[in-house]
Amino acid sequence: MATRDNSMSDIKKLQRKARGERPFFFEDPNIDKLISMFMGLAGEVAVLHDRNDTLERLLQTKGLVKQSEIDSFKPNVKVQEERAVWRKNYLSEILRIIESELEGQKSGDRDPYETTIKTVENS
Amino acid sequence: MSTENQIRPQVQHAVMAETTHDEFSRQEFVRSYKNYLVQNVHSGNQIRYEKLIKPKFQKKHQRPPKDRFEVGKEMVQDSYYQMFSSLLRTSQEMMWSSCQVPVNRDLDNLNHKVKMSKNSKTLGSLRLNTKLQIPRYHTAVDIHCQPGGYHSEVTEQDASAGIVYDRAVHIYAMGQLGPYNDDIGASIILWLQNNHPSLKPKKILDMGCSVGHSTIPYAKAFPNAIVHGIDVAAPMLRYAHARAEDIGEKVHFSQQNAEDTNFKSGSFDLIVSHILLHETSEKAIHNIVKECHRLLKPGGLMIHGETPPYKNMGPFDAFMLDWDTRNNNEPFWARSHEIDLEKLSKKGGFDTQHQFEALIPSALQVAEAKRSKVFQGGDFGGGGLWFIYGNKRQLNE
Repeated sequence: MATRDNSMSDIKKLQRKARGERPFFFEDPNIDKLISMFMGLAGEVAVLHDRNDTLERLLQTKGLVKQSEIDSFKPNVKVQEERAVWRKNYLSEILRIIESELEGQKSGDRDPYETTIKTVENS
Repeated sequence: MSTENQIRPQVQHAVMAETTHDEFSRQEFVRSYKNYLVQNVHSGNQIRYEKLIKPKFQKKHQRPPKDRFEVGKEMVQDSYYQMFSSLLRTSQEMMWSSCQVPVNRDLDNLNHKVKMSKNSKTLGSLRLNTKLQIPRYHTAVDIHCQPGGYHSEVTEQDASAGIVYDRAVHIYAMGQLGPYNDDIGASIILWLQNNHPSLKPKKILDMGCSVGHSTIPYAKAFPNAIVHGIDVAAPMLRYAHARAEDIGEKVHFSQQNAEDTNFKSGSFDLIVSHILLHETSEKAIHNIVKECHRLLKPGGLMIHGETPPYKNMGPFDAFMLDWDTRNNNEPFWARSHEIDLEKLSKKGGFDTQHQFEALIPSALQVAEAKRSKVFQGGDFGGGGLWFIYGNKRQLNE
Protein backbone atom coordinates (compact mmCIF):
# COMPACT_ATOMS: atom_id res chain seq x y z
CA MET A 1 0.00 0.00 0.00
CA ALA A 2 1.15 3.52 -0.64
CA THR A 3 2.48 4.45 2.76
CA ARG A 4 5.65 6.24 3.65
CA ASP A 5 7.26 3.41 5.55
CA ASN A 6 6.53 1.02 2.74
CA SER A 7 9.09 -1.74 2.69
CA MET A 8 6.59 -4.48 1.93
CA SER A 9 7.88 -7.30 -0.22
CA ASP A 10 11.17 -5.52 -0.63
CA ILE A 11 13.09 -8.51 0.64
CA LYS A 12 16.24 -8.57 -1.42
CA LYS A 13 18.89 -9.60 1.07
CA LEU A 14 17.18 -12.54 2.74
CA GLN A 15 16.09 -15.74 1.02
CA ARG A 16 12.40 -15.47 0.14
CA LYS A 17 11.29 -18.98 -0.76
CA ALA A 18 11.46 -21.81 1.74
CA ARG A 19 13.27 -24.77 0.20
CA GLY A 20 10.84 -27.64 -0.39
CA GLU A 21 7.94 -28.33 -2.74
CA ARG A 22 4.93 -26.16 -1.94
CA PRO A 23 1.75 -28.20 -1.41
CA PHE A 24 -1.42 -27.21 -3.26
CA PHE A 25 -4.69 -28.40 -1.85
CA PHE A 26 -7.26 -27.79 -4.57
CA GLU A 27 -7.40 -29.73 -7.81
CA ASP A 28 -6.55 -26.52 -9.59
CA PRO A 29 -3.50 -24.99 -7.88
CA ASN A 30 -4.61 -21.59 -9.15
CA ILE A 31 -7.31 -21.60 -6.49
CA ASP A 32 -4.59 -21.92 -3.83
CA LYS A 33 -2.71 -19.11 -5.51
CA LEU A 34 -5.81 -16.93 -5.53
CA ILE A 35 -6.30 -17.56 -1.82
CA SER A 36 -2.72 -16.53 -1.20
CA MET A 37 -3.26 -13.33 -3.19
CA PHE A 38 -6.56 -12.66 -1.48
CA MET A 39 -5.09 -13.00 2.00
CA GLY A 40 -2.12 -10.87 1.00
CA LEU A 41 -4.57 -8.18 -0.05
CA ALA A 42 -6.65 -8.66 3.12
CA GLY A 43 -3.44 -8.16 5.12
CA GLU A 44 -2.65 -4.90 3.39
CA VAL A 45 -6.20 -3.63 3.97
CA ALA A 46 -5.68 -4.38 7.67
CA VAL A 47 -2.41 -2.44 7.59
CA LEU A 48 -4.21 0.51 6.00
CA HIS A 49 -6.95 0.26 8.59
CA ASP A 50 -4.38 0.46 11.38
CA ARG A 51 -2.71 3.42 9.71
CA ASN A 52 -6.01 5.23 9.43
CA ASP A 53 -6.75 4.39 13.05
CA THR A 54 -3.36 5.79 14.05
CA LEU A 55 -4.06 9.02 12.18
CA GLU A 56 -7.44 9.47 13.82
CA ARG A 57 -5.97 8.86 17.26
CA LEU A 58 -3.10 11.29 16.65
CA LEU A 59 -5.48 13.97 15.38
CA GLN A 60 -7.57 13.54 18.52
CA THR A 61 -4.63 13.51 20.89
CA LYS A 62 -3.35 16.71 19.34
CA GLY A 63 -6.83 18.21 19.64
CA LEU A 64 -7.13 18.82 15.92
CA VAL A 65 -10.20 16.68 15.35
CA LYS A 66 -12.67 14.98 17.69
CA GLN A 67 -13.75 11.38 17.14
CA SER A 68 -17.36 12.60 16.99
CA GLU A 69 -16.44 14.98 14.17
CA ILE A 70 -15.14 12.06 12.11
CA ASP A 71 -18.12 9.86 12.94
CA SER A 72 -20.64 12.56 12.18
CA PHE A 73 -18.87 13.83 9.08
CA LYS A 74 -21.41 14.16 6.30
CA PRO A 75 -19.78 14.37 2.93
CA ASN A 76 -21.38 17.09 0.85
CA VAL A 77 -22.58 16.33 -2.62
CA LYS A 78 -19.29 17.31 -4.20
CA VAL A 79 -17.34 14.98 -1.91
CA GLN A 80 -19.89 12.22 -2.46
CA GLU A 81 -19.45 12.59 -6.21
CA GLU A 82 -15.68 12.52 -5.96
CA ARG A 83 -15.82 9.39 -3.83
CA ALA A 84 -18.28 7.77 -6.21
CA VAL A 85 -15.87 8.36 -9.08
CA TRP A 86 -13.03 6.88 -7.06
CA ARG A 87 -15.12 3.80 -6.17
CA LYS A 88 -16.20 3.27 -9.76
CA ASN A 89 -12.59 3.22 -10.93
CA TYR A 90 -11.63 1.03 -8.00
CA LEU A 91 -14.36 -1.50 -8.77
CA SER A 92 -13.45 -1.40 -12.42
CA GLU A 93 -9.91 -2.46 -11.54
CA ILE A 94 -11.08 -5.29 -9.30
CA LEU A 95 -13.67 -6.55 -11.78
CA ARG A 96 -11.37 -6.15 -14.78
CA ILE A 97 -11.55 -9.83 -15.71
CA ILE A 98 -15.32 -9.69 -16.01
CA GLU A 99 -15.38 -6.37 -17.81
CA SER A 100 -12.80 -7.44 -20.34
CA GLU A 101 -14.86 -10.52 -21.17
CA LEU A 102 -17.85 -8.28 -21.78
CA GLU A 103 -15.81 -5.89 -23.89
CA GLY A 104 -14.76 -8.80 -26.08
CA GLN A 105 -18.37 -9.85 -26.54
CA LYS A 106 -19.36 -6.32 -27.52
CA SER A 107 -16.55 -5.71 -29.98
CA GLY A 108 -17.01 -9.04 -31.72
CA ASP A 109 -13.66 -10.25 -30.32
CA ARG A 110 -15.10 -13.71 -29.71
CA ASP A 111 -13.19 -16.09 -31.98
CA PRO A 112 -11.55 -19.04 -30.25
CA TYR A 113 -7.80 -18.42 -30.13
CA GLU A 114 -7.09 -21.61 -32.06
CA THR A 115 -9.07 -20.14 -34.97
CA THR A 116 -6.73 -17.15 -35.03
CA ILE A 117 -3.69 -19.41 -35.15
CA LYS A 118 -5.21 -21.37 -38.00
CA THR A 119 -6.11 -18.11 -39.73
CA VAL A 120 -2.59 -16.70 -39.63
CA GLU A 121 -1.03 -20.04 -40.42
CA ASN A 122 -3.23 -20.43 -43.47
CA SER A 123 -3.21 -16.92 -44.85
CA MET B 1 -12.56 -8.11 25.22
CA SER B 2 -12.81 -11.85 24.68
CA THR B 3 -9.94 -14.10 25.74
CA GLU B 4 -9.16 -15.14 22.19
CA ASN B 5 -8.27 -11.55 21.35
CA GLN B 6 -6.10 -11.15 24.41
CA ILE B 7 -2.73 -9.71 23.49
CA ARG B 8 0.30 -11.11 25.25
CA PRO B 9 3.01 -8.85 23.89
CA GLN B 10 6.52 -10.11 23.37
CA VAL B 11 9.10 -8.51 25.64
CA GLN B 12 11.32 -6.20 23.65
CA HIS B 13 15.04 -6.56 24.12
CA ALA B 14 17.96 -4.70 22.60
CA VAL B 15 18.70 -7.05 19.70
CA MET B 16 15.14 -7.57 18.51
CA ALA B 17 14.21 -6.16 15.12
CA GLU B 18 12.32 -2.92 15.47
CA THR B 19 9.25 -2.53 13.32
CA THR B 20 7.78 0.49 11.61
CA HIS B 21 4.08 1.22 11.97
CA ASP B 22 3.06 -0.81 8.94
CA GLU B 23 5.51 -3.63 9.56
CA PHE B 24 4.07 -4.12 13.02
CA SER B 25 0.50 -4.01 11.69
CA ARG B 26 1.37 -6.61 9.09
CA GLN B 27 2.69 -8.97 11.79
CA GLU B 28 -0.35 -8.29 13.95
CA PHE B 29 -2.59 -9.20 11.03
CA VAL B 30 -0.85 -12.56 10.64
CA ARG B 31 -1.27 -13.28 14.33
CA SER B 32 -4.99 -12.46 14.18
CA TYR B 33 -5.31 -14.47 10.96
CA LYS B 34 -3.70 -17.54 12.55
CA ASN B 35 -5.78 -17.09 15.67
CA TYR B 36 -8.94 -16.84 13.58
CA LEU B 37 -8.14 -20.07 11.77
CA VAL B 38 -7.58 -21.85 15.08
CA GLN B 39 -10.64 -20.47 16.82
CA ASN B 40 -13.13 -20.39 13.99
CA VAL B 41 -12.07 -22.47 11.00
CA HIS B 42 -10.16 -25.47 12.31
CA SER B 43 -13.08 -27.06 14.14
CA GLY B 44 -15.09 -27.20 10.92
CA ASN B 45 -12.85 -30.03 9.73
CA GLN B 46 -14.08 -32.26 12.53
CA ILE B 47 -17.70 -31.37 11.81
CA ARG B 48 -17.19 -32.26 8.13
CA TYR B 49 -15.52 -35.49 9.18
CA GLU B 50 -18.14 -36.59 11.69
CA LYS B 51 -21.20 -35.50 9.71
CA LEU B 52 -20.19 -36.28 6.14
CA ILE B 53 -16.93 -38.07 5.58
CA LYS B 54 -17.04 -40.74 8.26
CA PRO B 55 -20.68 -41.79 7.58
CA LYS B 56 -19.92 -42.00 3.84
CA PHE B 57 -16.89 -44.18 4.53
CA GLN B 58 -18.88 -46.28 6.99
CA LYS B 59 -21.59 -46.90 4.39
CA LYS B 60 -19.08 -47.96 1.77
CA HIS B 61 -16.85 -50.14 3.97
CA GLN B 62 -19.15 -51.13 6.85
CA ARG B 63 -16.59 -49.72 9.28
CA PRO B 64 -15.09 -46.36 10.20
CA PRO B 65 -11.62 -45.34 8.90
CA LYS B 66 -9.06 -47.37 10.84
CA ASP B 67 -6.09 -45.00 10.87
CA ARG B 68 -4.92 -41.49 9.97
CA PHE B 69 -4.00 -42.66 6.47
CA GLU B 70 -7.56 -43.74 5.68
CA VAL B 71 -8.88 -40.51 7.19
CA GLY B 72 -6.38 -38.54 5.13
CA LYS B 73 -7.37 -40.13 1.82
CA GLU B 74 -10.91 -38.87 2.32
CA MET B 75 -10.08 -35.52 3.92
CA VAL B 76 -7.76 -34.29 1.17
CA GLN B 77 -10.70 -34.47 -1.22
CA ASP B 78 -12.96 -32.42 1.00
CA SER B 79 -13.43 -28.84 -0.13
CA TYR B 80 -13.58 -27.49 3.41
CA TYR B 81 -10.31 -29.17 4.38
CA GLN B 82 -8.74 -27.93 1.16
CA MET B 83 -9.72 -24.36 1.94
CA PHE B 84 -8.57 -24.66 5.55
CA SER B 85 -5.21 -26.08 4.48
CA SER B 86 -4.71 -23.49 1.80
CA LEU B 87 -5.43 -20.71 4.31
CA LEU B 88 -3.16 -22.23 6.96
CA ARG B 89 -0.25 -22.70 4.59
CA THR B 90 -0.70 -19.12 3.37
CA SER B 91 -0.70 -17.83 6.96
CA GLN B 92 2.64 -19.56 7.53
CA GLU B 93 4.16 -17.96 4.44
CA MET B 94 2.83 -14.54 5.39
CA MET B 95 4.20 -14.99 8.91
CA TRP B 96 7.76 -15.49 7.66
CA SER B 97 7.45 -12.70 5.15
CA SER B 98 6.12 -10.24 7.74
CA CYS B 99 9.02 -11.08 10.06
CA GLN B 100 11.61 -10.91 7.30
CA VAL B 101 10.68 -7.41 6.10
CA PRO B 102 11.98 -5.44 9.12
CA VAL B 103 15.11 -7.62 9.39
CA ASN B 104 15.87 -7.19 5.72
CA ARG B 105 15.42 -3.42 6.00
CA ASP B 106 17.75 -3.03 8.97
CA LEU B 107 20.05 -6.01 8.40
CA ASP B 108 23.45 -4.36 8.78
CA ASN B 109 22.48 -2.42 11.88
CA LEU B 110 20.90 -5.48 13.52
CA ASN B 111 23.89 -7.69 12.80
CA HIS B 112 26.12 -4.95 14.18
CA LYS B 113 24.10 -4.82 17.41
CA VAL B 114 24.31 -8.60 17.76
CA LYS B 115 28.08 -8.48 17.21
CA MET B 116 28.61 -5.69 19.75
CA SER B 117 26.68 -7.63 22.34
CA LYS B 118 29.01 -10.56 21.75
CA ASN B 119 32.04 -8.38 22.46
CA SER B 120 30.76 -7.33 25.87
CA LYS B 121 31.37 -10.89 27.18
CA THR B 122 29.95 -10.04 30.55
CA LEU B 123 28.06 -13.20 31.40
CA GLY B 124 27.93 -16.16 29.06
CA SER B 125 29.90 -17.15 26.00
CA LEU B 126 29.61 -18.02 22.32
CA ARG B 127 31.70 -20.62 20.55
CA LEU B 128 31.14 -21.22 16.84
CA ASN B 129 32.50 -24.02 14.71
CA THR B 130 32.51 -22.95 11.06
CA LYS B 131 33.53 -26.47 10.02
CA LEU B 132 30.43 -28.11 11.48
CA GLN B 133 28.46 -29.98 8.82
CA ILE B 134 24.81 -28.88 8.77
CA PRO B 135 22.87 -32.16 8.85
CA ARG B 136 20.90 -33.27 5.82
CA TYR B 137 17.64 -33.15 7.80
CA HIS B 138 18.10 -29.38 8.04
CA THR B 139 19.20 -28.74 4.47
CA ALA B 140 16.77 -31.04 2.58
CA VAL B 141 13.88 -28.62 3.11
CA ASP B 142 13.65 -25.40 5.12
CA ILE B 143 12.01 -26.57 8.34
CA HIS B 144 8.56 -25.13 9.05
CA CYS B 145 8.97 -23.03 5.90
CA GLN B 146 11.41 -20.47 7.30
CA PRO B 147 13.17 -19.35 4.12
CA GLY B 148 16.80 -20.40 4.51
CA GLY B 149 16.03 -22.53 7.54
CA TYR B 150 17.94 -22.12 10.77
CA HIS B 151 21.37 -22.25 9.22
CA SER B 152 21.57 -20.00 6.13
CA GLU B 153 23.73 -16.90 6.29
CA VAL B 154 23.28 -14.05 3.85
CA THR B 155 26.23 -11.95 4.99
CA GLU B 156 29.35 -12.11 7.20
CA GLN B 157 28.60 -13.06 10.80
CA ASP B 158 24.91 -13.07 9.99
CA ALA B 159 22.26 -13.46 12.69
CA SER B 160 19.25 -12.74 10.48
CA ALA B 161 17.75 -16.24 10.73
CA GLY B 162 17.75 -15.91 14.53
CA ILE B 163 16.30 -12.41 14.52
CA VAL B 164 13.50 -13.48 12.18
CA TYR B 165 12.88 -16.67 14.18
CA ASP B 166 12.51 -14.95 17.57
CA ARG B 167 9.66 -12.79 16.30
CA ALA B 168 8.09 -15.55 14.17
CA VAL B 169 7.93 -17.99 17.10
CA HIS B 170 5.90 -15.44 19.02
CA ILE B 171 3.47 -14.98 16.14
CA TYR B 172 3.38 -18.71 15.32
CA ALA B 173 2.30 -19.54 18.86
CA MET B 174 0.07 -16.44 18.92
CA GLY B 175 1.74 -15.41 22.17
CA GLN B 176 0.91 -18.77 23.77
CA LEU B 177 4.56 -19.29 24.68
CA GLY B 178 4.56 -16.19 26.87
CA PRO B 179 6.32 -12.81 26.60
CA TYR B 180 9.76 -14.49 26.35
CA ASN B 181 8.63 -17.47 24.20
CA ASP B 182 9.85 -19.62 27.08
CA ASP B 183 6.79 -21.68 28.01
CA ILE B 184 8.16 -25.09 27.01
CA GLY B 185 11.25 -24.62 29.17
CA ALA B 186 9.25 -23.04 31.98
CA SER B 187 6.75 -25.93 31.89
CA ILE B 188 9.48 -28.56 32.20
CA ILE B 189 10.95 -26.61 35.12
CA LEU B 190 7.53 -26.49 36.79
CA TRP B 191 7.24 -30.26 36.29
CA LEU B 192 10.72 -30.75 37.77
CA GLN B 193 9.86 -28.62 40.79
CA ASN B 194 6.76 -30.75 41.40
CA ASN B 195 8.24 -34.15 40.60
CA HIS B 196 11.93 -33.83 41.48
CA PRO B 197 11.90 -31.10 44.15
CA SER B 198 15.34 -32.09 45.44
CA LEU B 199 17.00 -31.76 42.02
CA LYS B 200 19.74 -29.15 42.15
CA PRO B 201 21.55 -29.55 38.82
CA LYS B 202 25.10 -28.24 38.68
CA LYS B 203 25.38 -28.48 34.91
CA ILE B 204 22.53 -28.27 32.39
CA LEU B 205 22.55 -28.81 28.63
CA ASP B 206 19.84 -27.61 26.24
CA MET B 207 20.09 -29.40 22.89
CA GLY B 208 18.94 -27.70 19.69
CA CYS B 209 18.45 -24.46 21.58
CA SER B 210 18.02 -22.16 18.53
CA VAL B 211 17.68 -18.60 19.93
CA GLY B 212 17.86 -19.85 23.52
CA HIS B 213 14.25 -18.95 24.32
CA SER B 214 13.75 -22.24 26.20
CA THR B 215 17.29 -22.25 27.63
CA ILE B 216 17.02 -19.02 29.58
CA PRO B 217 14.36 -20.24 32.05
CA TYR B 218 16.83 -22.88 33.28
CA ALA B 219 19.45 -20.22 33.98
CA LYS B 220 16.77 -18.28 35.86
CA ALA B 221 15.42 -21.26 37.81
CA PHE B 222 18.83 -22.74 38.68
CA PRO B 223 21.07 -19.69 39.21
CA ASN B 224 23.93 -21.81 40.58
CA ALA B 225 24.02 -24.14 37.58
CA ILE B 226 26.27 -23.82 34.56
CA VAL B 227 23.94 -23.75 31.57
CA HIS B 228 24.97 -24.76 28.05
CA GLY B 229 22.96 -24.40 24.85
CA ILE B 230 23.96 -26.09 21.60
CA ASP B 231 22.65 -25.83 18.07
CA VAL B 232 23.92 -26.59 14.56
CA ALA B 233 23.00 -23.13 13.25
CA ALA B 234 25.41 -20.24 13.74
CA PRO B 235 22.88 -17.43 13.01
CA MET B 236 20.66 -18.77 15.82
CA LEU B 237 23.53 -18.93 18.29
CA ARG B 238 24.86 -15.45 17.51
CA TYR B 239 21.42 -14.07 18.23
CA ALA B 240 20.85 -16.39 21.22
CA HIS B 241 24.02 -15.12 22.86
CA ALA B 242 23.20 -11.45 22.28
CA ARG B 243 19.64 -12.03 23.48
CA ALA B 244 20.73 -13.81 26.67
CA GLU B 245 23.27 -11.11 27.42
CA ASP B 246 20.64 -8.43 27.03
CA ILE B 247 18.11 -10.29 29.16
CA GLY B 248 20.90 -10.72 31.71
CA GLU B 249 21.18 -14.50 31.96
CA LYS B 250 24.40 -16.47 31.81
CA VAL B 251 24.35 -19.18 29.13
CA HIS B 252 27.24 -20.78 27.24
CA PHE B 253 26.29 -21.28 23.63
CA SER B 254 28.26 -23.46 21.25
CA GLN B 255 27.75 -24.67 17.70
CA GLN B 256 27.47 -28.42 17.97
CA ASN B 257 25.35 -31.26 16.67
CA ALA B 258 23.44 -32.96 19.52
CA GLU B 259 24.21 -36.33 17.92
CA ASP B 260 27.90 -35.97 18.62
CA THR B 261 29.07 -33.25 21.00
CA ASN B 262 32.53 -32.51 22.36
CA PHE B 263 31.48 -32.44 26.01
CA LYS B 264 33.08 -34.95 28.36
CA SER B 265 31.16 -38.09 29.29
CA GLY B 266 29.14 -37.83 32.48
CA SER B 267 29.32 -34.07 32.66
CA PHE B 268 25.64 -33.06 32.96
CA ASP B 269 23.00 -33.50 35.66
CA LEU B 270 20.17 -32.42 33.39
CA ILE B 271 19.87 -32.58 29.61
CA VAL B 272 16.81 -31.07 27.98
CA SER B 273 15.49 -30.32 24.50
CA HIS B 274 12.44 -28.43 23.35
CA ILE B 275 10.69 -29.49 20.16
CA LEU B 276 14.03 -30.69 18.84
CA LEU B 277 13.38 -34.39 18.23
CA HIS B 278 10.77 -33.92 15.50
CA GLU B 279 13.20 -31.79 13.52
CA THR B 280 15.82 -34.53 13.23
CA SER B 281 15.81 -37.94 11.53
CA GLU B 282 15.51 -41.64 12.31
CA LYS B 283 19.27 -42.05 12.67
CA ALA B 284 19.74 -38.73 14.43
CA ILE B 285 17.05 -39.28 17.07
CA HIS B 286 18.79 -42.50 18.14
CA ASN B 287 22.19 -40.82 18.12
CA ILE B 288 20.83 -37.98 20.25
CA VAL B 289 19.40 -40.26 22.94
CA LYS B 290 22.66 -42.23 22.96
CA GLU B 291 24.60 -39.00 23.31
CA CYS B 292 22.34 -37.93 26.19
CA HIS B 293 23.16 -41.20 27.94
CA ARG B 294 26.87 -40.63 27.46
CA LEU B 295 26.74 -37.04 28.67
CA LEU B 296 24.62 -37.64 31.77
CA LYS B 297 26.14 -38.18 35.18
CA PRO B 298 24.86 -41.32 36.88
CA GLY B 299 21.54 -40.28 38.39
CA GLY B 300 21.15 -37.48 35.83
CA LEU B 301 17.94 -36.73 33.92
CA MET B 302 17.18 -36.47 30.22
CA ILE B 303 13.94 -34.68 29.26
CA HIS B 304 12.72 -33.93 25.74
CA GLY B 305 9.70 -31.63 25.35
CA GLU B 306 7.42 -32.22 22.35
CA THR B 307 3.82 -32.18 21.23
CA PRO B 308 2.04 -35.45 22.18
CA PRO B 309 2.54 -38.70 20.28
CA TYR B 310 -0.25 -40.05 18.08
CA LYS B 311 -0.61 -43.36 19.88
CA ASN B 312 -3.45 -42.34 22.21
CA MET B 313 -5.24 -40.28 19.59
CA GLY B 314 -8.13 -41.24 17.40
CA PRO B 315 -7.39 -41.45 13.66
CA PHE B 316 -8.98 -38.07 12.93
CA ASP B 317 -7.00 -36.17 15.60
CA ALA B 318 -3.79 -37.89 14.53
CA PHE B 319 -4.48 -36.92 10.92
CA MET B 320 -5.05 -33.29 11.87
CA LEU B 321 -1.97 -33.10 14.10
CA ASP B 322 -0.03 -34.62 11.23
CA TRP B 323 -0.83 -31.63 9.02
CA ASP B 324 2.65 -30.18 9.48
CA THR B 325 4.47 -33.25 8.19
CA ARG B 326 3.48 -32.65 4.59
CA ASN B 327 2.24 -29.11 4.61
CA ASN B 328 4.69 -27.22 6.78
CA ASN B 329 8.06 -28.75 5.87
CA GLU B 330 8.31 -30.95 8.95
CA PRO B 331 9.30 -34.20 7.24
CA PHE B 332 10.16 -36.11 10.44
CA TRP B 333 7.10 -34.94 12.38
CA ALA B 334 4.96 -38.03 11.70
CA ARG B 335 7.65 -40.62 12.33
CA SER B 336 8.90 -38.87 15.47
CA HIS B 337 5.36 -38.83 16.87
CA GLU B 338 4.97 -42.58 16.30
CA ILE B 339 8.36 -43.79 17.45
CA ASP B 340 8.51 -46.38 20.25
CA LEU B 341 10.04 -44.28 23.00
CA GLU B 342 10.87 -47.24 25.22
CA LYS B 343 12.87 -48.85 22.43
CA LEU B 344 14.50 -45.49 21.75
CA SER B 345 15.67 -45.28 25.36
CA LYS B 346 16.85 -48.87 25.38
CA LYS B 347 18.87 -48.47 22.19
CA GLY B 348 20.39 -45.35 23.71
CA GLY B 349 21.70 -47.36 26.64
CA PHE B 350 19.14 -46.34 29.25
CA ASP B 351 17.45 -48.62 31.76
CA THR B 352 13.82 -48.34 30.61
CA GLN B 353 12.59 -49.00 34.15
CA HIS B 354 13.34 -45.34 34.65
CA GLN B 355 11.94 -44.13 31.35
CA PHE B 356 8.98 -41.75 31.62
CA GLU B 357 6.39 -40.09 29.43
CA ALA B 358 3.93 -37.48 30.62
CA LEU B 359 1.59 -34.75 29.54
CA ILE B 360 2.59 -31.77 31.63
CA PRO B 361 0.67 -28.55 32.17
CA SER B 362 1.96 -25.45 30.46
CA ALA B 363 3.46 -23.01 32.97
CA LEU B 364 1.56 -20.24 31.26
CA GLN B 365 -1.59 -22.36 31.44
CA VAL B 366 -1.18 -22.61 35.19
CA ALA B 367 -1.10 -18.83 35.31
CA GLU B 368 -3.98 -18.38 32.88
CA ALA B 369 -7.17 -20.37 32.75
CA LYS B 370 -8.53 -20.27 29.24
CA ARG B 371 -6.82 -22.07 26.37
CA SER B 372 -8.31 -23.87 23.41
CA LYS B 373 -7.53 -27.19 25.17
CA VAL B 374 -7.10 -29.15 21.98
CA PHE B 375 -4.10 -30.25 19.98
CA GLN B 376 -4.47 -29.21 16.39
CA GLY B 377 -2.26 -28.32 13.48
CA GLY B 378 -1.55 -24.60 13.41
CA ASP B 379 -2.34 -24.05 17.10
CA PHE B 380 1.09 -24.37 18.62
CA GLY B 381 0.87 -24.32 22.40
CA GLY B 382 -2.92 -24.05 22.25
CA GLY B 383 -3.41 -27.38 23.99
CA GLY B 384 -2.14 -25.92 27.25
CA LEU B 385 -0.15 -29.12 27.79
CA TRP B 386 3.23 -30.30 26.64
CA PHE B 387 4.42 -33.85 26.21
CA ILE B 388 7.67 -34.94 27.77
CA TYR B 389 9.68 -38.05 27.23
CA GLY B 390 12.76 -38.82 29.24
CA ASN B 391 14.90 -41.19 31.19
CA LYS B 392 16.92 -41.13 34.34
CA ARG B 393 20.41 -42.51 34.01
CA GLN B 394 20.98 -45.12 36.67
CA LEU B 395 24.04 -45.23 38.88
CA ASN B 396 25.27 -48.53 37.51
CA GLU B 397 24.84 -47.87 33.78
